[in-house]
Amino acid sequence: AILRHIRIPVQTLGRSRPLPCLHPLPTSMIRSMSSHGDDHLTREEVVERVLDVVKSFPKVDPSKVNPDVHFQKDLGLDSLDTVEIVMALEEEFKLEIPDKEADKIDSCSLAIEYISNHPMAV
Amino acid sequence: MAFSLRGVRVPPNSASVEEARRRTLDFFKSACRSIPAIMETYNLYDVVTPSQLRSTISSEIRKNAHITNPKVIDVLLFKGMEELGNIVEHAKQRHHVLGQYVLGRGGLVQDLGPKDEGISEFLKQFYASNYF
Repeated sequence: AILRHIRIPVQTLGRSRPLPCLHPLPTSMIRSMSSHGDDHLTREEVVERVLDVVKSFPKVDPSKVNPDVHFQKDLGLDSLDTVEIVMALEEEFKLEIPDKEADKIDSCSLAIEYISNHPMAV
Repeated sequence: MAFSLRGVRVPPNSASVEEARRRTLDFFKSACRSIPAIMETYNLYDVVTPSQLRSTISSEIRKNAHITNPKVIDVLLFKGMEELGNIVEHAKQRHHVLGQYVLGRGGLVQDLGPKDEGISEFLKQFYASNYF
């Protein structure tokens, strides 16, 4: 898996030379030595793990949990519980979700959406 | 100085309940993010899981959820930050953390043995205070 990443810097240098550096190539995005976020998660796996995390939350009734459930409206949790679930998801997928994004995560579907689109999710 | 790790730069002086709420949630998040460090420091791997610690922290915060005065909430947050700072910088010891957060109130409750079960309500109040 690491070999896949080592090939990338060679390709991008070739492409950027003709452009007179109009905007710097975001090399911070290409972490060639990192093996984190290597195996891209499939959507079913993300859904399953997110639902497991929500179901194992002590205040939640596992039978009510499905991929569309809203934390506050359907499961009857309050904002502190929502934050706690988001932190549990951060721990599960080894992410660090910034505050602005974390505020928007209000339901299972948004959580699945965010995690699937996050490049660093493990 | 106590807050060098915890990310509180401005001393809290919330203008409204909404801002105090924001601060509380931020405090909760920083507490949760330091849970792995706490488990490492006090070697709690066999004793408790991170999700149990999270639940304990949230129930502690929830005990004061009924307060509406932003200044009071600020004071409580200050105390919470101080406590969190103490725990993270290893100023406490393992038995402190275990007694206060892992076992909680149930582990420290005084034994209400059989001798107390038969007494009347009057006597309970009498033992508690002079004024009722």
